[in-house]
Amino acid sequence: MSVLERASALDAAAVPPLPAPSWGLWRRQLAAAVRLELKKGFRGRRVLGVVLLAAMPVTLFALHALFNSPDDPANVGEVGWVFARLYQAFILRLVLFFGCVLVFGNLIRRELLDRSLHFYFLSPVRRPLLAAAKYLTGLVVTLSVFGAATIASFFLAYSAHDGSAVRRFIFDGPGLGHLSAYLGVTALACLGYGAVFLAAGFFTKSPALPAVTVFGWENLHFLLPPALKKISVIHYLQGLCPVPISQGPLAILADAPSPWVAVPGLLGLTLVLLGLSAWKIQRMEILYTED
Amino acid sequence: MSVADVTTTLPVPAADTAGAAAATSRRILFDEVSKFYGEVLGINRVNLAIPPGITSLVGPNGSGKTTLMNLMAGLLRPTRGRVSVLGLVPERPEEMFRTIGYATQHDAFPPGLTGFELIASYLRVHGYPRADAETLAWAAIERVGLADAAGRKVAAYSKGMRQRIKLAQAMAHRPSVLILDEPLNGLDPMARAEMTVLFRELAAAGLHVVVSTHILHEVDRISDQVVLLNGGYVVAEGEIEGVRDEMEEHPVQVAVLCDRPQLLASRLFLADHVVEAKLERGVLLVRTRDADRFYLLLNRVVLEEGVRIESVAPADSDVLAVYHYLIGGQEGVQR
Repeated sequence: MSVLERASALDAAAVPPLPAPSWGLWRRQLAAAVRLELKKGFRGRRVLGVVLLAAMPVTLFALHALFNSPDDPANVGEVGWVFARLYQAFILRLVLFFGCVLVFGNLIRRELLDRSLHFYFLSPVRRPLLAAAKYLTGLVVTLSVFGAATIASFFLAYSAHDGSAVRRFIFDGPGLGHLSAYLGVTALACLGYGAVFLAAGFFTKSPALPAVTVFGWENLHFLLPPALKKISVIHYLQGLCPVPISQGPLAILADAPSPWVAVPGLLGLTLVLLGLSAWKIQRMEILYTED
Repeated sequence: MSVADVTTTLPVPAADTAGAAAATSRRILFDEVSKFYGEVLGINRVNLAIPPGITSLVGPNGSGKTTLMNLMAGLLRPTRGRVSVLGLVPERPEEMFRTIGYATQHDAFPPGLTGFELIASYLRVHGYPRADAETLAWAAIERVGLADAAGRKVAAYSKGMRQRIKLAQAMAHRPSVLILDEPLNGLDPMARAEMTVLFRELAAAGLHVVVSTHILHEVDRISDQVVLLNGGYVVAEGEIEGVRDEMEEHPVQVAVLCDRPQLLASRLFLADHVVEAKLERGVLLVRTRDADRFYLLLNRVVLEEGVRIESVAPADSDVLAVYHYLIGGQEGVQR
C-alpha cells in the first residue's frame, strides 16, 4: 500500500501519539533536526562559499606540487615546517575562522532573514535541543569540508618531494602523528569557533561585527599578556600543533598550554558558549514584524 | 455604557472556583496579559477565556491580532500577565506544541523543500518515526486539497497553495488547538468555501480554531464567537449576538418589509424608544433602544392597522455593525 493510500485510509487512531519525553524521543528529534538542517541549509550556493574557502589551501598546495619537481631535494623537516607555517597562519587563522563564521554565524541569522525559524519553534521540541541540532549540523559540515581540506593539503604539501623519504616520514616516522594532530586541531577549531559564532548569531543581527571583533582578538593574541591569551581559541589551538612556529619578534611569550590543559580548556570554553546559546534560545521571541 | 464597560461585563477566567481546573484545561486563557515592543503597545491588559469552536479575532491592521496569536503560541512572551492553552504554558513548548498547530501569516518557508518534505520533515522533528510522519503528512496534504502539488517545491507555489500548505503543516500532527493567522487571504472563492467547511468540521470535532481576519463579512459565516480588537485592547468578546446585546446604549436596527411602510413608520415613530425610521428601497429601517418593546409595538400596529408584513429581520446583528458601533469606521478593516 502506498503512503498516499495509507493516508487515505487513515483514521485518528492509526498513528500512535508521540511518546512521552525521553532520551529516545530527544535523540530522534535531534537527528531529524540535523537531517532537516543539512537538507535545507547546505545545498547548492549556500555551501559554495565554504567549499571555495576550503579549496584555497588545497589549490595552493596543488600548484606547489605541480610546479615543483618530484625530485626536489628539500628535506622532509623543511616541508613540515613550511606546512606548519601555512597551516597556522593561513588555514587556522583565515580559512577555518571564516569558514566557521560562514557556517555557524548564519545558522540562526539565515532563518531570521528568510522568516522560517518559527517552524522549529512551533514543534514540541526543547529549544536548547534545537540549538544543539544547529551546532551539530555546523560541525558535520565544517568537519567534513575542512577535515578533507586539511588531509588533502597535508599530502599535497609532501607530494612534491622525494617519494621514499616522504613515505618513510609518513608511515615509519611521525608523519601520521602530525596529520592526526592537525586533524585534531581542525576539529577543535570547528568546535571552538563554531560555538563562538553560534552564540554570536543569537546576540547580533549580522555575523560581520562579531567576526571582525573575534578576528582582531585572535590575531592580536600574540601581543596579549599571558592571562588574556587564555581566553582566545587560537592560544589553545597553537599549543596543539605538532610543529611550533615563531610568533614574531613583538610577541609576548607565554608557555604553550599542554594538551592536557588545551583540550579540556577549549572544550570548557565551547560548553560555556553552548550553554549561553541554550539560555538565549530558550528566551528567544520571534519578531519578524509586528501585525 | 462605554466600550470598556462592554469588555468588563463579559466573563473572565474563574481561577478560584471549584471547577476552575477543569475549565482551565478546556480553554485558552489570557490573564491580564500585556505585551509591549519597547515603547510600542502590542496588546494591553487582555483577559480572555476562549472555549472550543471557531473564534475569530477581528480588528484592523496593528490592532494586536497577531500579537495575541503569537503569545498564544509562545513565539512571544507577555510583558505582564499569564497565558495558558488548555492548561499548558508556552514556557514548555515540548508539551504545548503537541496540542497546538499554528499557521502564521508569514509567507516564508525553508528553502529547497517540496510541500510533502516540508510537512514530513517537521513531523519528524516532532519525533514521529518516518512511516508515521509520512502518513500524517499525506493525510494533512490531502485534507487541504494539495495532493497533486505535494511533490513540487513550496517556493513555486501560488499564494493560495502556500496558505493551504501552511494549514496542512499546522494540522498535520492532529492538534487540539489550531491557530490560523489570516488563513483565507489569497484564496479564491471556491477555496475559501472549502476552507470554511474544513474549519467547521474541525470545530465540530471539538477543536479550538482561532482565526484572525480583517475581512469582516467572513466572520459571521465562520465564527462561533468573536474577539474584537482595536489599538491593542479587546473591545468586546463573545458570541456576536451576545456582544450586540451588551451594547444597550446603541439602538438596534430592524428591517421591516411590508405593504404600507409609511404608515407603519409614522406609528412606530411615536414610541419614545424608536430613535429613527427610514425607508430604503422599499424597506423600512427602524432603530430602537428597546427591541422587546419594539416587537410588541409592531405586533399591535399590525393588528390595529392591518399592515401585511413580509419579513422582519435584525439589520445590524452582524459583526460589521457591532464593530462599527464599538470602534467606528477603521481603515484596514474590509467588508
